[in-house]
Amino acid sequence: MSTDDITNDLTQNTQNAPPELLSRVFFFLCAALSIVTTISIVVLLVTEAMKFFTVTAPLVGVEGETASIVEFLTGTTWQINSQEFGVLALVSGTLLITFGSAVVALPLGVATAIYLSEYAKERHRAVLKPALEVLAGVPTVVYGFFALIYITPAIQTVLPGVGTFNLISASIVVGIMIIPMVASISEDAMTAVPDELRQAGYGMGATKFDVSTGIVVPAALSGIFSSFILALSRAIGETMAVTVAAGAQAKFLNPFPVGKFLSGEAPLPVDPSVYQEGALVMTAAMVNLVTGDITGGGLAYRSLFAIGLTLFVITLVMNVISDAVARRYREEY
Amino acid sequence: MATDTRPDVIESFGEVNKTVGMLFRYLLQVATAFGIAVLAVLLLFVFNDAVRPLTADPGWHLTFFAVLVVPTMVVGSYLYVRDRAAFTFGMTTVGLLMVSLMFASGAALVFVDLLPPVLVFGYTVAVAAGVGVVVGLERYSHRLSFWTRFGGTVAAFYFIFTGFPGIAANALGVEQLVADLPTLLRVNLAVISPPEWLFVLGSIGILFAAVVGLRFASLRDRRTGLVAAGGSLLVVTVVTLLAPLVSVTQVPAAVLATMVLLPMAAYAGGVVLDRPEERTGLVLLVVVVGGALLGELTVGQLGFAGPSSWVDWQFLTDAHSRNPENAGLYPAIGGSILLMVTVALLSFPLGVGAAVYLEEYAPDNRLTRFIDVNISNLAGVPSVVYGLLGLGVFFTYLGQPTGTVMMGGVTLALLILPIVIISSREAIRSVPNEARQASYGMGATRYQTVRRVILPEAFPGILTGTILALGRAIGETAPLIMIGAPSVVFSLPTEISAKVSAMPLQVYAWASLFAGPNFYQKAVPAGVVVLVSVLLAMNSIAIVLRNRYQTDR
Repeated sequence: MSTDDITNDLTQNTQNAPPELLSRVFFFLCAALSIVTTISIVVLLVTEAMKFFTVTAPLVGVEGETASIVEFLTGTTWQINSQEFGVLALVSGTLLITFGSAVVALPLGVATAIYLSEYAKERHRAVLKPALEVLAGVPTVVYGFFALIYITPAIQTVLPGVGTFNLISASIVVGIMIIPMVASISEDAMTAVPDELRQAGYGMGATKFDVSTGIVVPAALSGIFSSFILALSRAIGETMAVTVAAGAQAKFLNPFPVGKFLSGEAPLPVDPSVYQEGALVMTAAMVNLVTGDITGGGLAYRSLFAIGLTLFVITLVMNVISDAVARRYREEY
Repeated sequence: MATDTRPDVIESFGEVNKTVGMLFRYLLQVATAFGIAVLAVLLLFVFNDAVRPLTADPGWHLTFFAVLVVPTMVVGSYLYVRDRAAFTFGMTTVGLLMVSLMFASGAALVFVDLLPPVLVFGYTVAVAAGVGVVVGLERYSHRLSFWTRFGGTVAAFYFIFTGFPGIAANALGVEQLVADLPTLLRVNLAVISPPEWLFVLGSIGILFAAVVGLRFASLRDRRTGLVAAGGSLLVVTVVTLLAPLVSVTQVPAAVLATMVLLPMAAYAGGVVLDRPEERTGLVLLVVVVGGALLGELTVGQLGFAGPSSWVDWQFLTDAHSRNPENAGLYPAIGGSILLMVTVALLSFPLGVGAAVYLEEYAPDNRLTRFIDVNISNLAGVPSVVYGLLGLGVFFTYLGQPTGTVMMGGVTLALLILPIVIISSREAIRSVPNEARQASYGMGATRYQTVRRVILPEAFPGILTGTILALGRAIGETAPLIMIGAPSVVFSLPTEISAKVSAMPLQVYAWASLFAGPNFYQKAVPAGVVVLVSVLLAMNSIAIVLRNRYQTDR
């Protein structure tokens, strides 16, 4: 904010002149538009989702079919035709893809950030940074096509059990897509670490490796974590790549078959083979609902907003956490 | 923390292992290159599927290798070694040629099928007339009060664009007495019916020529500017008149000539005047263009067949078809252009306005902090949710038909608004504080400072951010699906309330609704190649702009 005292003094006499007033009001309205957007998103999602649930529908005066909120939040079957709306069937797919993309993106992103901030020469940075931007700029539907046409067949030659639509390839492309996000935010955090800390390290006889891993990364940890959370929230909200690559078959996939493990049916309490199957994730379910023949106002149409609200709440909470982590644990130098 | 006294550090004190450091470095390099390399390989695959370079005759490859690749490599490496600045200049002109060809083709599409040239001409004249009134008011009547000038400006634009008594006619219950200026022009010009290409030159031709003139005038003097502007108009006219000789229609020829030749002339001519020592770089442009033309001529003479690419004229100018060989992208390209124009018109002023408010006006209070946090949260909202917003507001509450240009444009504009705001704020923040203080010290008001000092200084940065954000909008599919944009459109949308499709949406439709090996191997890769080329062009414009801007400062 450049509103220091001198500026205020210098512009005070003219601040209510008509052109000043008009321009100030215009600029303020532009900024206030963001609040209007947020409010309309929240109001729209909440009111429409309220029409969907049995408990809340009378409050907004909706008669007709509704769904139970308990079944929505705890059910594991998503079947529009038989009116079964269990969002966990969709959430399981979303979480699996988020975890899978994290496995790809977080190590690569942090390594990229360390390389760019500590090792790369200016000449290499000038090439690598725009190239990373391109990675984030390729349309997600293109990534989905890549996963379906090139990556899945490549995986199938190694693991023949993998289906045409599967979570592995979807996770890989979503991971590649969010690398730049992890890398750029983490790199900003690492660049913000003051040089004195590095020089102190070198003065103590530390090698570049020691300085990077022992000083820079710990000092930038809050920024790195907030980049993780932001990138994962992006992965959760990612739509087209997953819709194209992971298929449209809604099913509840449980990667932790604890029950089977205890009864001796499964050798491990973890079952990575769920990644071989396709699944319908939240965003893809919304796309399918819209492209399928749903009529405006029906229960299926309103379920769209219930999923949308779930998605919005999850990503909003993650963004807020990321922001709080970055603010609260930032080392001030 | 870094200052912790960890026992393991102390034990190994003084022992330095070179291998660990080297391994770590290589690991980092591999990790950094991994994502980029994967994407590069995938792009190569899709390029191979779409363009199929291996289906060409060996002679075709050989010819182009001999007349295009080898000379370009030789000249390029010579320049690179001898004169780096000239090499950069040459490469930029070649890049500018390709990018301007791509965007000029898009503009040609607009003139041929979306907007009749006479309409564009009418609106150009109307805007010019309005601006003329404003300039006149500003220049000759400083004694008038602000409100008089403001009212005069509003009234002028109102009457020029809606006629007399204008849109209020219905409310007042009066007949429309005088039509608006564009309509007046259209009706009157229809009587003489001059050739359509004249309208193209009368609108964008004069506009671009004026830009060329201004550029040369700022480098030399007024006379050079006038000569340059007149000369470029003349060249474009001659090219348009000659176009039928090579069987090109005159309207697209006029658009292409204006939007390719004039920017090239402005840039290259400007550099030649400004830094004459770099003019050898133009040899690179000559070699590339000459090589391409010579190669085309030679393969035509010798009868070598080129690659039977799926990205061909037919693909770019046909509508969707159930038969993948005949499927085309034309309505989707047109839809994407219309959406982009709408999004740019909405998001640029709003985003820059918000950024100016937050950086220059906002007091440090709770409301400001709330707006600040709110914008960064909006940037993280998934794009499907924005689609849902568009669907809910326009369809459920306002009862609009789904999937229109306006609905898509507004939704996408809201989606990229936070990105535009954030990048514009960064650009505005990088304007040095001394510039502001100097301006205030001279007695300028806040608005004068914003308009004359801050916005011009921050403009390249704002433009870079906006182009990148528009690139994001052009690739978005999910919001368009959510607002019910149809996957298959057979004709171009001609008005703001028409159903619209877009390039990524068409690609999605081919990859999902028409899933099958035929579409996977033909139409989809071709669509992907077109989409990715447009995005790469936009990204490279943004990067070049940013690099120039950063080195200039």
